[in-house]
Amino acid sequence: MRKLAVIIILFITSIELAPGQGLYSPGSPQDDGRFAASTKQVNQFFRRFNGEESADGTKRYYEDDSNYRNRELRGKFISILFDNETSGIQNNLKTEFMKDVLSEPLPQYLAFHRGEWFAEVATTFIYKGKRENVTLFMKLQPEGLGYEWVVDRVSFAPFKNLFKKPQGDQKSFLHPMSHEIGFMNLRKAFQDNKLPEAYTPKEYEPDYLTLFLYEVKNGNLKFDNISDVKFHFFQINDWYFELNQFNRPGFNTGWLISNLIKLKPGDKEVVQKFIYDQN
Amino acid sequence: MKKYISLFLFMFVASATISMAQSDNISPARKQAIDSLALEKVKDLSKYISIIGSKETQFSEANRVMDRAEELFAPDAEMGVSSLNRKEIAYYKVRRYFERLMALNYDRVNITWYDIHYISDLERQPDGRYVGVITVYQRFEGTSLESGLNYRDTTKKDITIYVEKKQTQIAGRTIEFWDVMLGDIRVTETSA
Repeated sequence: MRKLAVIIILFITSIELAPGQGLYSPGSPQDDGRFAASTKQVNQFFRRFNGEESADGTKRYYEDDSNYRNRELRGKFISILFDNETSGIQNNLKTEFMKDVLSEPLPQYLAFHRGEWFAEVATTFIYKGKRENVTLFMKLQPEGLGYEWVVDRVSFAPFKNLFKKPQGDQKSFLHPMSHEIGFMNLRKAFQDNKLPEAYTPKEYEPDYLTLFLYEVKNGNLKFDNISDVKFHFFQINDWYFELNQFNRPGFNTGWLISNLIKLKPGDKEVVQKFIYDQN
Repeated sequence: MKKYISLFLFMFVASATISMAQSDNISPARKQAIDSLALEKVKDLSKYISIIGSKETQFSEANRVMDRAEELFAPDAEMGVSSLNRKEIAYYKVRRYFERLMALNYDRVNITWYDIHYISDLERQPDGRYVGVITVYQRFEGTSLESGLNYRDTTKKDITIYVEKKQTQIAGRTIEFWDVMLGDIRVTETSA
């Protein structure tokens, strides 16, 4: 016990002897509210969206707290979670979204582990001596004792341009009696043919992720850098929104909703296809 | 040195007391204790950065502080730095980052930290350790007396923290405690 007391005294002494330059030492610059207002992490976006932190951000609310997921608090938070400077999301759309999310009988929350959200990471790789843009789509998956982010898809223009399957009359084919000649005509399909994908099924989709990994493993694609990160959310019923980071002066900064779309039946697949194929 | 040993021991004992014989799930109360421990490490780091960056710090002292600062980090931790003009990330090993900070060509350097931070939730990773991120804001002011030029920036530092439950034997008893190590740090210049 006496040892512990000595240790505590030493600890307190060490604080007093420390130079006054550390975190929260006298003379620390004071935040004028901008950093407090900023949604500093995606984690804080989740907390604010769900109403799981106090208005001043100093307290994390848990299920036992009376203000946990308080509807009024959530409303105030969500209203500041939109990018109000560049994205031009219509006010009536925001209002409709908030009405759905804050619905009294059926409020909707975001959940970190529930899926239906993913990251889009803009990267650069060196490919054949040139710096090329590669978009990685990352998803969170359970693994071992916890979770991990994994590369789910890849979008890379040189790969995409490599596969241009001809359609209709333009398409070469193996005639339906090829089996009777022991598929000897495969020679025509693969020798000196720049479009061997013509001989694949209708439903064939190139697996760019496998190609990407193959090229990385062979040393043909070398990681260079990361230029941007954004997130796509489909967790809220009938809504899609995009989350981007805004680093600019003012109070409307950090991780904010930069795109909001009300989804009709079938729209989700269209939006996803657009996201995955845009590059 | 004694100062740091005492700090370590205090944290060790405190965290051991808090977490003895508890399960792997992190309750809000324990999360709060871990947050405090993690924030102490970040405070130590901020103090070390200020000392390393200061022109009043002698070379030998700066090297000693760099050693202490490195001890806060998990192996292979990196700093990823970008600025408003250069979005690309420049990657540095922690030691290299400190050495660059020490070698900055200013006559006067003042590094201070804003009175605000954010501590994320802790997420469990596949190996069972927990991981979180603490965000702090740093103001840097460098003055060159000859040219009279002042450089000032504010950077956001998103600091990875690894939280791991460990065991030790004290007087034949197994004591469990939570240890915190710092990991990769993303440094972004802000418009502030």
